[in-house]
Amino acid sequence: MARTIISVADLSIVFDTPQGQVIAVDRVTFSVAHGEFVCIVGPSGCGKSTVLNTIAGLETPYSGAVIVDGKPMQRPRPDVGMVFQQPHLFPWKSVRKNIAHGPRMLGKSRSEARAIADGLIEMIGLNRFADAYPHTLSGGMQQRVAIARALANQPRVLLMDEPFGALDAQTRSVMQDSLLELRDRIDATVVFVTHDIDEAILLADRVLIMSAGPGRILRDLGVDLPRPRSNAIMLDPAYLALKKDCLDLIRSEGRRAFDQSSAG
Amino acid sequence: MKRLNILVGALSIPLFVVAWEVIARSGIVNAVLFPPPSVVAVAVLEWVRSGQFFLDLGASLYRVVTGFVVGAALGIALGVLTGQFALVSSLLSPLFHILRPIPPIAFVPIVILWFGLSETGKLFLVVWGVFFTVWLSTHIGVQKVDRGLIRAAQMLGTPRRQMLQEIVLLGALPYIVVGLRTAISISFYTLVAAELAGAFAGIVYRIEIAQQNLQTGQVMGGLAALGLMSFVADRLFAAVAERTVWWR
Ligand SMILES: Nc1ncnc2c1ncn2[C@@H]1O[C@H](COP(=O)(O)OP(=O)(O)OP(=O)(O)O)[C@@H](O)[C@H]1O
Ligand SMILES: [Mg+2]
Repeated sequence: MARTIISVADLSIVFDTPQGQVIAVDRVTFSVAHGEFVCIVGPSGCGKSTVLNTIAGLETPYSGAVIVDGKPMQRPRPDVGMVFQQPHLFPWKSVRKNIAHGPRMLGKSRSEARAIADGLIEMIGLNRFADAYPHTLSGGMQQRVAIARALANQPRVLLMDEPFGALDAQTRSVMQDSLLELRDRIDATVVFVTHDIDEAILLADRVLIMSAGPGRILRDLGVDLPRPRSNAIMLDPAYLALKKDCLDLIRSEGRRAFDQSSAG
Repeated sequence: MKRLNILVGALSIPLFVVAWEVIARSGIVNAVLFPPPSVVAVAVLEWVRSGQFFLDLGASLYRVVTGFVVGAALGIALGVLTGQFALVSSLLSPLFHILRPIPPIAFVPIVILWFGLSETGKLFLVVWGVFFTVWLSTHIGVQKVDRGLIRAAQMLGTPRRQMLQEIVLLGALPYIVVGLRTAISISFYTLVAAELAGAFAGIVYRIEIAQQNLQTGQVMGGLAALGLMSFVADRLFAAVAERTVWWR
């Protein structure tokens, strides 16, 4: 097996709220190998974003540790990129300048940054919109720019938090296919959060299923479907079998959580 | 209907001027206290021809522009600091919130004690009036900057300084612009107070002198000049603002 690039060890995250402490993530342990595409699925509020933010260095562990590329994560680092559910593009910058922002911040010259941006614009197919401002783009186009912007620093790890969650079904499946294509061309490890099982199986080498709060990892499921993949795979019997496994697991977990909460 | 509206709109000011002229000349009112527009126009022409007008305009413009620029710069700088750093805010915000509601005009007496009739005192008043409005709108704007933008910028390796100068400042810009526009009218209010308190040149100073000499035409001409100045400043700013928040 390839070497480990992300290791999450015994990670717990606790938030202080006016109602007292909330355990958002409860002793989560997993690791991701270099080049792997891992999806994390789970019900709303189970702590998926919190785990991802901790890998990003935006949140600090309450206990346990997150190690990326041999170094513990304490604050955001340029070798770890992130795409959020909302594109969060800088509204005052054109598409090109948004993408060039990262390289500029890392000290690249204006022309170097521009060259990097233009390459990525080509890759996401938005050549005609290089000088457009974000508010003139559709949601799907904005999210493409956000992905390109995150890739501009050539991160070793790309984190994606429900990046297609706000898009309509049709745009989402187009974006999934282009992410699959993109992924073959970049050399990054991807951790992708979603609550859409189909999306997870379609994209991932491995699916981590989390339980309802406090979040724990319920199952670590390998996805042995051939690549290259596309949305067409969703009719494949092997795909359907995997999906059934996941759904059964989530359903029984949902029932257990429900029984527990009504008993307690 | 729409055409009628435009027509009536175009007639608004001419009708007013004509009515004024007729009433003032009719003898119903005292023509010394209420001179017709033609007399006002002659007074203004004389003011301009003597060259005094340009000295007055220059003096007033200098006070308003300098005071506005200094007050706005201080307001933006401190607004970014208090909006961004909780500790700075804890230190300064309570003080600013106590001083802010005091009408700037109320500071005229103490400003005269401190600075006499010097230019410094007049600038101080304008700066004081402009500062609090700009500070508050910047402070609020900075706090309302989308957290998502900040996180995105952090993930891209944006250093702290760049974060303040670029992301936070531009994120707050729509709020700052609104504050600046309010501050323009405030700078004219405070200008009036500053010049009434005693000056040696200026539009409002000229109004006061004319009043003492019972040159009512000159008084009204001065008022018109002041209104025009303030109007042009506001329009000019609106045009600039449109370009400042260019991504809207
Ligand atoms: N800053 C915070 N302060 C307090 N509680 C928080 C904070 N962030 C998250 N939480 C709590 O932690 C838990 C996990 O939240 P998180 O956003 O990680 O869930 P999620 O799995 O990403 O949900 P979703 O699918 O809805 O995005 C929730 O109960 C949430 O209320
Ligand atoms: Mg989430």
